[in-house]
Amino acid sequence: MKGFFNAVRLALRAIARAKLRAALTVLGILIGVAAVVIVVALGTGTRDIITGKFATLGANIIFIFPQSTQSSGAKQGTQNRMTEADGEAIAKEALSISAVVPWNVAGGQVVFSDKNWPTQIMGTTRGYWDVRGFTFAKGQSWTESDEQLKSKVCVIGEAVHEALFGTQDAVGQYVRIGHYPYRIVGVLAKKGNSPFGEDQDDRLLMPIGSFRARVLPMPPGRVMTLMASASSELTADRAVQQITDILRQRHHMQGEEDSDFVVRNPLELRRSAEKLANGLTAFLIVVAAISLLVGGVGVMNIMLVSVTERTREIGIRMAIGATETDIMVQFLVEAVTLCMFGGLAGTVLGLGFIAAVNVVADLKMAVPVPAIIAAVGTSAVIGVLFGFLPARRAALMDPIDALRNE
Amino acid sequence: MVAASTEAASAVSPDDIMFLDGITKDYVTEAVTVHALRRVDITIKRGEFVAMVGQSGSGKSTMMNIIGCLDRPTEGRYLLDGIDVTHRSNDARAVVRNRLIGFVFQGFNLLPRTTALENVELPLVYRGVSAGERAKRALEALESVGLADRLHHTPNQLSGGQQQRVAIARALVTEPPLLLADEPTGNLDTRTSYEVLGLLQELNRKNKITIVLVTHEPDIAACASRVINMRDGRVRSDTYNEAPVDAHQALADLPPVEE
Repeated sequence: MKGFFNAVRLALRAIARAKLRAALTVLGILIGVAAVVIVVALGTGTRDIITGKFATLGANIIFIFPQSTQSSGAKQGTQNRMTEADGEAIAKEALSISAVVPWNVAGGQVVFSDKNWPTQIMGTTRGYWDVRGFTFAKGQSWTESDEQLKSKVCVIGEAVHEALFGTQDAVGQYVRIGHYPYRIVGVLAKKGNSPFGEDQDDRLLMPIGSFRARVLPMPPGRVMTLMASASSELTADRAVQQITDILRQRHHMQGEEDSDFVVRNPLELRRSAEKLANGLTAFLIVVAAISLLVGGVGVMNIMLVSVTERTREIGIRMAIGATETDIMVQFLVEAVTLCMFGGLAGTVLGLGFIAAVNVVADLKMAVPVPAIIAAVGTSAVIGVLFGFLPARRAALMDPIDALRNE
Repeated sequence: MVAASTEAASAVSPDDIMFLDGITKDYVTEAVTVHALRRVDITIKRGEFVAMVGQSGSGKSTMMNIIGCLDRPTEGRYLLDGIDVTHRSNDARAVVRNRLIGFVFQGFNLLPRTTALENVELPLVYRGVSAGERAKRALEALESVGLADRLHHTPNQLSGGQQQRVAIARALVTEPPLLLADEPTGNLDTRTSYEVLGLLQELNRKNKITIVLVTHEPDIAACASRVINMRDGRVRSDTYNEAPVDAHQALADLPPVEE
């Protein structure tokens, strides 16, 4: 151990004597390590963003849309046969589903005093808040009796509140849609964009009965979309299958007949997006690793030059009693120290870059600690691998020839 | 083989620091075989001051390398301080060099950009001596060669004579029984040469350290108590000098330096 510290001290001194050369030598390692750190941070950051965006859709949400069917090659008109009763059946029969809500939508103008605002007007039930993960900034949901009585009440999104009321309190106020006034009972908390780019705060919601009665007339019970919550991420795939089975049975689908609905699980989209991000990260890490490798060759090159230059020094050391191991350790430690400097400098550069991007792009990229450990560890290993040949060459020198060297 | 080694062993006395028995060294190249040493037998007793002289090509440098455990003989046996070092591994010979031999070279061979103190400490580093102990012993060694005021000078800040004294201090710091000096005055002027020789004589007298000095200058050899003359790989003459020149006296007798 004492010998090792001596070797480190020697290595530091040898490096200090040729600072510029050392700096240029480790440039490859530095860039390689910085690249690894940055790429991993970006990769992890991207995945976090994807995961976060999908989380805004609601935990483990599954969408069920009606779909036009084909019969003998002729496309039949879109004939939506999906009803609230379908939703109730799924909620009751599908074991992996915790909740189902109906959802209808239409574009419309919302008017308050002299202002009006075009937005998405939606009809749904109170289960919607949990399924989509909405919370209330002000007020609260409508009641069960509102749903039964098809009351003229509504809940507005943040964007609608902002556009019509500004800083004013909207709860208790009346807005007009078409011919009817609706009392605002609640304002939703801000949520931001969905992974599909839709502004999730620009909306107005009301009981689905009220919607069918006054906004967009439809046969009783008819819905445009059902939204279901799987009981967990693990059961989502099973839930999709259960929904499909229940609806095909309820809609009397035969054998190979196409379903008149489609079940979409955003988890699949999330998975493929994450897969893409991971693949890209892996590719970039390989590129960064090549830079590390090239850096290692650079270190080997300079160490070979250094060994040749210091032939006489090696001869002197051998004459006064340095063993082959002593010489070997001296040059190996020097190579490793050099590479570690590159690794640490690369880490600092990478972290600086991450911090700068976080500030400029307003991101929250985390410091990839395992990647830093791996990158610095790899640079040490590179030092050993690429320092071995020069160190061995030094250790196997003949002291007589080495001393004669001018 | 057994008989031969028994015979040789019986010839070794504990007073002998060095016992060379039939040392032969051949350099084989594609074209020719050079016989650098041809069956040389030399025995050197503890406390001797031996000068090894000869023309270039006489084999004295080869001899020096073998004595210094830097090279192995093709044939023969070499016992150093009672240890047979003839066929030791490279690492084992490195340890022998560290423990038993102090080297002083013509070109000083100090590490550049390294202070006198650190240069002198170096052999102790490879011996695994602690930093505090190293510094203490290196300081003592430098004091004994009169360089206590030059501890933190690097070789390029020192004169040739001072550099050679640092080298001598480095050779002494391990307190070896044998000091090998290869043309130690070759790069020095006459005055400085006598200074260095005086120092070596003093060490030989006071510390009873055995010195083997290789030189081609008769004036330098005259300071030794025994002169071994080599030619064509053989010992041509081996004579004891009853009244070696005292280097300090010779220095005093030199004409004064003209300023």
